[in-house]
Amino acid sequence: MANSMARSFLQVAATEEVASPLRVVQIEGLVILKIIKHCKEFSPALVTGQLLGLDVGSVLEVTNCFPFPIREEDEEIEADGANYQLEMMRCLREVNVDNNTVGWYQSTILGSYQTVELIETFTNYQENIRRCVCIIYDPSRSNQGVLALKALKLSDSFMELYRANNFTGEKLREKNLSWVDIFEEIPIKVSNSALISAFMTELESDTPVTQCDYDGLQLSTKPYMERNVEFLIECMDDLSMEQQKFQFYYRSLSRQQAQQQAWLQKRRTENMARKAAGEEPLPEEDPSNPIFKPIPEPSRLESFLVTNQIENYCNQINGVAGQNFNRLYLMKSLQDN
Amino acid sequence: MASKFWTQGGSDTEEEETDIEDEIENGGAGETTAAAAGSRYLQTNASDSDDSDGQKRVVRSAKDKRFEEMASTVDQMKNAMKINDWVSLQESFDKINKQLEKVMRVTESDRVPNLYIKCLVMLEDFLAEALANKEAKKKMSSSNHKALNAMKQKLKKNNKQYEELINKYRENPESEEEKFEDEDEDEDEDESGSELEDPSQIAAESSDEDDEGEDVDDDDADGAWEKKLSKKEKLMDREFKKDPSEITWDTVNKKFKEVVAARGRKGTGKFEQVEQLTFLTKVAKTPAQKLEILFSVISAQFDVNPGLSGHMPINVWKKCVQNMLVILDILVQYPNIVVDDMVEPDENETQKGADYDGTIRVWGNLVAFLERIDNEFFKSLQCIDPHTREYVERLRDEPLFLVLAQNVQEYLERIGDLKSAAKVALRRVELVYYKPQEVYDAMRQLAVLSEDGEKDGDETKVEETRGTSAFVVTPELVSRKLTFPENSRALMDILVTLIYKSGDERTKARAMLCDIYHHALFDEFSIARDLLLMSHLQDTIQHMDVSTQILFNRAMAQVGLCAFRVGLIAEGHGCLSELYSGGRVKELLAQGVSQSRYHEKTPEQERLERRRQMPYHMHINLELLEAVHLICAMLLEVPNMAANSLDAKRKVISKTFRRLLEVSERQPFTGPPENVRDHVMAATRALCKGDFQKAFDVINSLDVWKLLRNRESVLEMLKAKIKEEALRTYLFTYCSSYDTLGLDQLTKMFDLSDAQIHSIVSKMLVNEELHASWDQPTRCIIFHDVEYSRLQALAFQLTEKLSILAESNERAVEARFGGGGLDLPLRRRDNQEYAAGTSGGGGGRWPDLSYNQGRQGSSGRAAYTGGGRPLALGQASRDRSSQSRGTGGYSGRAGSGMRGYQMDASARMVSLSRGVRG
Repeated sequence: MANSMARSFLQVAATEEVASPLRVVQIEGLVILKIIKHCKEFSPALVTGQLLGLDVGSVLEVTNCFPFPIREEDEEIEADGANYQLEMMRCLREVNVDNNTVGWYQSTILGSYQTVELIETFTNYQENIRRCVCIIYDPSRSNQGVLALKALKLSDSFMELYRANNFTGEKLREKNLSWVDIFEEIPIKVSNSALISAFMTELESDTPVTQCDYDGLQLSTKPYMERNVEFLIECMDDLSMEQQKFQFYYRSLSRQQAQQQAWLQKRRTENMARKAAGEEPLPEEDPSNPIFKPIPEPSRLESFLVTNQIENYCNQINGVAGQNFNRLYLMKSLQDN
Repeated sequence: MASKFWTQGGSDTEEEETDIEDEIENGGAGETTAAAAGSRYLQTNASDSDDSDGQKRVVRSAKDKRFEEMASTVDQMKNAMKINDWVSLQESFDKINKQLEKVMRVTESDRVPNLYIKCLVMLEDFLAEALANKEAKKKMSSSNHKALNAMKQKLKKNNKQYEELINKYRENPESEEEKFEDEDEDEDEDESGSELEDPSQIAAESSDEDDEGEDVDDDDADGAWEKKLSKKEKLMDREFKKDPSEITWDTVNKKFKEVVAARGRKGTGKFEQVEQLTFLTKVAKTPAQKLEILFSVISAQFDVNPGLSGHMPINVWKKCVQNMLVILDILVQYPNIVVDDMVEPDENETQKGADYDGTIRVWGNLVAFLERIDNEFFKSLQCIDPHTREYVERLRDEPLFLVLAQNVQEYLERIGDLKSAAKVALRRVELVYYKPQEVYDAMRQLAVLSEDGEKDGDETKVEETRGTSAFVVTPELVSRKLTFPENSRALMDILVTLIYKSGDERTKARAMLCDIYHHALFDEFSIARDLLLMSHLQDTIQHMDVSTQILFNRAMAQVGLCAFRVGLIAEGHGCLSELYSGGRVKELLAQGVSQSRYHEKTPEQERLERRRQMPYHMHINLELLEAVHLICAMLLEVPNMAANSLDAKRKVISKTFRRLLEVSERQPFTGPPENVRDHVMAATRALCKGDFQKAFDVINSLDVWKLLRNRESVLEMLKAKIKEEALRTYLFTYCSSYDTLGLDQLTKMFDLSDAQIHSIVSKMLVNEELHASWDQPTRCIIFHDVEYSRLQALAFQLTEKLSILAESNERAVEARFGGGGLDLPLRRRDNQEYAAGTSGGGGGRWPDLSYNQGRQGSSGRAAYTGGGRPLALGQASRDRSSQSRGTGGYSGRAGSGMRGYQMDASARMVSLSRGVRG
């Protein structure tokens, strides 16, 4: 521990100028266990917690974490939450544990985390901490026998756009940003201290694979699939709504253009007449006219997020379906035998 | 007398007490003179009073009365002066000014009565005195003081007009007394003169009067002359009566113009004008003139109606109808007279006599008059309380109007004005279309009866007209008899054919609606439906006026009832559901004002709404309508709910019904049914369990059925339907519990024949509603368990959504690159909304009568796309099917196809697209 600390200080000093991009999130095994415990215990309620660690060049080390109390929609309690956080940090500092915030973790249901709130929280964090990550744990998916842990960050180009709050088609094209580019997933590396590793190897050698992971053989994945499809349907509805907004926008836009054309036409003929009469032509622009007021283009952010979610669900369905087939074939061959 | 008072009361107020007595004496004297005058009058006229005309007597007494009123006001003023009460004095002054106006009107002269001048002088003096007396002024109460000041201003202003007269009076206060007497005498003479038969005597008298006037004061001659003129005017009426040979066209014309010019002016009595004009018709010289005057009479009769909301007095209305008939008589008698409102005819056109060869043009519009008469009739029925005898009496006048309309129409047809004839025919149609055969027969009988009765009346009337010796005698050429065809359908056919041939757009549309209504009334559903579909009225009804929209709603309601009667449940529901979707049935049918919780109506709106209400006898019974609607909904919805128990929200046939059901299910206890809804809900509960007998019993206990003509057969039909739907519901609900189900058992359970059950079940099998098959040898239904899993159902749903998304995406691209313009996508959206099943409550195309129509105009488009029309027109459905073909590439279509564009051919024409069991 002390060793790594010294190295990290050196590295921090060295890489101060050239901020290399974040490559990997290195999480202590203990932290992961703590996160899983917290999320699973409270499932299906969604919980969050703070991640503590160090930012070491392209590696973000997460060495500790603590849970937040379950948030309630109340001003006072929210303030309590902030107090709790500060108090907790202070206590940790007193016992000389890492107390450098590097992000937060949260649980989710079926990976439906791509929301505007998440992005807002991200921007809040990123204002203070240049590099931060959000670790998302999905307890329901973990039930399928996978470790559903993800480390996310927002892409820089997206952040820029988001700050300007400018999600028009033109800007997006300019930045060459598509829905895929909102979140960046960072690979997670689990690290343990040498002692623990050694202990683990010790354990392993004693016990060859005897303990079966029966979870992995579970065949009743129907509810999981159903819920995925349900969510997918909801997303479709959302997407249609977004699309309707857009259609409406286009319709009013074209109507406005037609009006503008008509107005211009009128103005031109009027100018011709004035010219003939030897008068000054009127300007061809009239900013005071309401038909020249630009109609605000609807933001694409929502539809991007929805698309992201859809992708997420699809991936999950694909993954689960694939696994299920495997299991079914397995079961069939077992039965045949 | 008064002057004496004035000279006395000049300075001190303490002497007032004594003056009161004086005053009383004064008043007494006045009365006695008046009484004396009255008695004198009585004496002189005792012999003549028999001959006197009622009308003139009214005028005379009014005049008398006015003067009396004025005198009493003056007395009041005097009293007020005595107690120095300026407040009441002020009131009296206002009163006397008003009375003056009346008096002037009655006497028809410009001269102000001396009584008034006297009063003014009196006031002026008193005022000056009061103002001079500063101390008294200080003692006055504030209100009194205020009144004094106000009086000062008023008097100053008022007296300016009469300055001359006042001065004159002041110069010569003594003669005033005499003059006042004169006035009285004048009046008497006036009165007596009006009674006298001999014009020479009148002339003598008027000259007498002249002399007197000159004697009194030279300046007064002007006024007297004026007076004489006005008197002569009145005499004219009498002259007409007396001396037929002397009356010329010119005199009549002049008088006529005069009376007409007075129309609408303030102070012109409406009734009086009518009477004056009526008199003139009797003395008219030429038929054309008589016609012209008659037109004015009718106009004046319309004027009698006090306001827009009130109706014309019934007796006036009847006279009006009679006048119209007389007009027709003249027109028939003299075919060379042409009535026209397009060109302003020559001034002296009507001078041309009866023997004139060329055409005579008279200004007037028969159709407009007729329509107005009809409107007044309609309005009177609106206003009269339908539960009174008066209403029934009023209804009896209907044949009267029908006769008139028939005659006008015949006349118009004869002169070739088919367009107007169509308009008249429409009025007739609108009086007949809602009558069932029984009512129609009753009306015919009534017409026959009243004809008999009228014959006697007619004779006396003819005599009467002869008695007044009209110059232009118009024999009754036009038949006063109603010729009804035996069958109301026959009548409708004749009229409607005429309208279709030569009516304008609106007339045709209305006639068509009436026709549809009538067909529906006679249980000819297919004809009514075909008419409705062929006319494409649903497309255009949005743009029509409100009353036509109401008519449309009525027709739809009737078609719905008709469909129910003939056993076409789905069609009936299709027609009625839109009507009930908004919960404003009363408003839509104009049968009462419904209170809205959400927005208050302005008085203006309320008045408008009240004006378009249907009279009571034309109402469609709302209870029956509701019962039919709910029963139709029940018969369709109960099996539908059973079939889709997994996913209740997906296919809703009747939202209204569902809502009611939810409400009734939420009740902790269900009492015995009271109203229609309760009954249907109770029946629904029974039907859900498959208990058809109970369901039918509950429905049967409704007392609206007695309103149906063929009640037995309808109930029979209803029972059969309930059995059928109970069977279907049972099968849907319990099919998963059975492996096989014996036909015999079903026959026993549902009291249906083998063949019936076989056909019902087979139909369900064919429609893939029931996954089963027949096993003929054992007479069993074998169920296959092909229930969707939830995941599968969801997958179906998802594909549906995806197809929508893809489609709208395509459209967006289209719009972006200007492929098909913007209209196309809009229309197509109709389709999409259907598939999405999001058509919110079938946001109806039902004609929206609400006054905020303007506001809704912007969202009208949305409502349009919102969904189902009562009847999918042939064209529309074709349109739709072609679209679904066009988008058939999406796999999701297969699912939505069940939504039901495909239906059996007969249903396609009429039912709502979603009104079919999917």
